[in-house]
Amino acid sequence: MKSKPSTTPRRSQGAAPKVVKTKRTRTRPTSAAAPRPARTQGPRRSSRLRAWGRHHRAMALDSLQRLVRTPLGNLLTMLAIAIALVLPAALWLTLDSARLLDAELEESATMTLYLDHGVSVAEAGRIDEALHANAGVISTRLIDPEEGMAEFQRSLGLEDALTGLEENPLPASIVVRPRSVEPTSMEQLAAELGELAGVEEARLDLAWVERLRHLAELGRRVALALGALFGLGVLLVVGNTIRLAVESRRREIEVVMLIGATHAFVRRPFLYSGAWYGLGGGLLAMGLLTLGNHWLSLPVAALAASYGASFSLPALDFLGSTILLSCSTLLGWLGAWLAVSRHLASIRPR
Amino acid sequence: MIAFEHVGKRYGGRFEALANLDFRIERGEMVFLTGHSGAGKSSLLRLIMRLETPSRGRVLVAGHDIAKLHAGQVPFYRRQIGVVFQDHQLLFDRNIFHNVSLPLEIQGVEPREAARRVRAALDKVGLLHREKALPIELSGGEQQRVGIARAVVNKPAMLLADEPTGNLDPQLSADIMGLFEDFNRIGTTVMIASHDLALIARLRHRILRLRDGRLVADEGAA
Repeated sequence: MKSKPSTTPRRSQGAAPKVVKTKRTRTRPTSAAAPRPARTQGPRRSSRLRAWGRHHRAMALDSLQRLVRTPLGNLLTMLAIAIALVLPAALWLTLDSARLLDAELEESATMTLYLDHGVSVAEAGRIDEALHANAGVISTRLIDPEEGMAEFQRSLGLEDALTGLEENPLPASIVVRPRSVEPTSMEQLAAELGELAGVEEARLDLAWVERLRHLAELGRRVALALGALFGLGVLLVVGNTIRLAVESRRREIEVVMLIGATHAFVRRPFLYSGAWYGLGGGLLAMGLLTLGNHWLSLPVAALAASYGASFSLPALDFLGSTILLSCSTLLGWLGAWLAVSRHLASIRPR
Repeated sequence: MIAFEHVGKRYGGRFEALANLDFRIERGEMVFLTGHSGAGKSSLLRLIMRLETPSRGRVLVAGHDIAKLHAGQVPFYRRQIGVVFQDHQLLFDRNIFHNVSLPLEIQGVEPREAARRVRAALDKVGLLHREKALPIELSGGEQQRVGIARAVVNKPAMLLADEPTGNLDPQLSADIMGLFEDFNRIGTTVMIASHDLALIARLRHRILRLRDGRLVADEGAA
């Protein structure tokens, strides 16, 4: 006997599987295959969007639940990520505070005019007034020889040794705050003021400011290089973890691919896992930074006080935290993406 | 519905799994595919599922050469074929309900609608009362029926089965085949690979016989 296709009831709308030809037909992958109840015949695009959103929500939740199910192992992964993030972040924060210090230094960037020995106090006062007329000068402070001596003694703690001197070897001096703290213009100003009558020498000590700037630049570059390296490290950590996760769910992936799952569908839960790892790592890194801040703040404050400065370690502000967390989440996501994509190519349904 | 045009398939350049297959299966037909193990039954099904592409010739489904589908289109093509596997390929960490709803999840069917269809499919295979059970808690025959429910839950136009009764006793096998006949009766094209000759001879449908990758008999063709 034969089957009788002519007598088998036909379904009204095309029982043939419609071979998908263009992107457009993706919006209606099954409509040709099976009559659908009216409810799903509504606006296709919006229902597809809703389905897409629903799957995203479901996978975000599902991957989070999977993380929570094996807390210890996942916490260790996040800790590895956190450690990789803490180093460059801490360096960056330190540099940030060095920049603040730098600004303070600029404020105190001054030059000192040492007057000739023979200049009297009155003459020194006139020179001081003449300086105010100079457009490049903001303010001045006249230090007469006695004052200079007293300061010198205070700063050196050599009162006894110096009181033995018969006469004051120090000249009167004027501290000048220049309008511009650019090294070249300061040097120009110093040369100009050094030529004034009664001024023996204009001294500008910019070298250490420059050195500090170079150091800060060096530090910034080191931080960037470290950031890139450790970012790569985060990618590898997440990538490896996700690789194992993919491997352990290989069967499931094969099955869903057999019944028509797209790569995006298969990838989605792993991408969320990666993002969760990144976010968790970022949060832990923030915790570690706060901890480090508390741990170091006391000695740093004491050290700063010993230099007569008040300086506290900078903590991560809102913007910094946001940047850190989004970077870590993005890195986790990217690591997962790389791992899954590399792996999916090798998984073929049997 | 399905047309093989001089199809050949070689693996690794030497081994010829299928050679010069040329046949058509009409829409709404029910066809058995038989032959010894290694005769090429699974390879043939894999070609239709587009898990592989032929080395020679063309496989046309609904008039389209499926080898020409690019990678992004293949999932959407596969959604229109229900497949029942010998080892039923169930996911053991999901209960019966969620196994059957998997194709609908993949297609993004709205959950309430999906639940309705899953229950309808489970009811059809007589396992509605076990929807909360895990696959491991079911017998072999029940697991196979879950596999069938999953294959038909999105009402595919075409149902393929690879040795669906491979591990079942005669009575269960007959029940399973009865299910396939039911689906065929409502218009689904069904193709079943089986070497259970006694059973398929009783069922009186078209039989394609393969030997060493060649079609040696086409009995009872419409």
